[in-house]
Amino acid sequence: MIYKLSVPVVADDVEEFRVLEWHGVVGDKFEPDGLIVELETHKAVVEVRAGQKGLFRQIFVEDGAWCQINVPLALFSDEPDEALPEAAEGAYDLVVDFDVT
Amino acid sequence: MSIETLAAPTALKRMFYREAIARAMREKMMLDERIIILGQDVGSFGGSYREFDGLFETFGPQRVRDTPVAEAAMIGIGVGAAAAGLRPLVSITYMDFIMLGLDPLVNYGAKVRYKTGGQLTAPVVVKLTAGAKGQGVAHSQCIEAWLMGVPGLRVVAPSTPADSYGLMRTALDCDGPVVFVDHKRLFPIPGDVPVEPTDTPFGKAAILRAGSDVTITTHSFMTRVAMEAATALARDGVSCEVIDLRSLAPLDIETVAASVGRTGALLTLEEGQATCGVGAEVIAQVQTQLGPMPFARVGALPAPVSSNPVLEAACVPDAERVCAAVRQLLRLG
Repeated sequence: MIYKLSVPVVADDVEEFRVLEWHGVVGDKFEPDGLIVELETHKAVVEVRAGQKGLFRQIFVEDGAWCQINVPLALFSDEPDEALPEAAEGAYDLVVDFDVT
Repeated sequence: MSIETLAAPTALKRMFYREAIARAMREKMMLDERIIILGQDVGSFGGSYREFDGLFETFGPQRVRDTPVAEAAMIGIGVGAAAAGLRPLVSITYMDFIMLGLDPLVNYGAKVRYKTGGQLTAPVVVKLTAGAKGQGVAHSQCIEAWLMGVPGLRVVAPSTPADSYGLMRTALDCDGPVVFVDHKRLFPIPGDVPVEPTDTPFGKAAILRAGSDVTITTHSFMTRVAMEAATALARDGVSCEVIDLRSLAPLDIETVAASVGRTGALLTLEEGQATCGVGAEVIAQVQTQLGPMPFARVGALPAPVSSNPVLEAACVPDAERVCAAVRQLLRLG
């Protein structure tokens, strides 16, 4: 299964945010509660923690770059050899928790 | 949606509105140790909107001072410290509460140069955050029109991170009191800011969108509403020129008059009250220069802004109301 990460509408009129730091590169595995990426909104730093197992497959928005809500940031999968889709939007959402620090 | 400006500089960095303010503060505080900050939560908390993030760590508690919620005292102290040789920035979390500090700001800060024949001045920046965002009647007001007419007081209202950066730099260099008006709804919106240290001059408006049928003047968060309305009107073949005033005192009437000379019609838009508002002054000054022309004002409905979201939305101008006002002004169906 291929999963995408995108940031949904959260509080405080967040429409655009900055990717601070990915905590993994393509090929890295993660477990539930693993830190995937840190994001920065106008209000706070947000830690995105995995709610499932998986591995990094493709990162669209690099450290320091900006992204809009509901736009895919990256793709993940269960297995390393699963084919990536043409359009990221069709993938299932990765189960994650957004922890506002 | 992005706001285009004329003469974009070459190297830009995208940042949040609050980061642009913090950057201007940092740059100027490095150069001039007389600059201090007074306000609630400006210290280790980094500012009510995180707009002073990191400054306490760099410059310490002598220069970045938390104050109790006491606006009359804060402004009184800021104005007095300015007259005594410091260059304070007093940060008032909600513009509404400038009312508590109007006496020291106006009767001392704005007048001390006149009263002392120039021997004393009060180079203080009073930063206020205006605007409706769900916080009710005493935490939503846009009352910059109350301050524009005070002799000796400069009033600026940036609508982008680039302008908040540039206008704050200019404000910190000013020889007299400056009221710097942010808006709560501008803080979430990032924008591109010049990498090179850059000042934005006072008294210079910015044409955000060129147009030929009507000139819309506005400032602060309403610039985004104006641009949204202009986009919608363009689909119906109505071409709007949108001007961000940026500086309310001094007002750049030359740019506005030149625009209205081309378009032939003027609509003013503000989040504050239309009665005795920014728009009323713009219209009077433009007509003094050009003679009569069709004009209209759009502002908040004459009611306090409720914390109820439905009532708030009804009170504060939106793109739909601006479009209707333009159509009526231009006598389109």
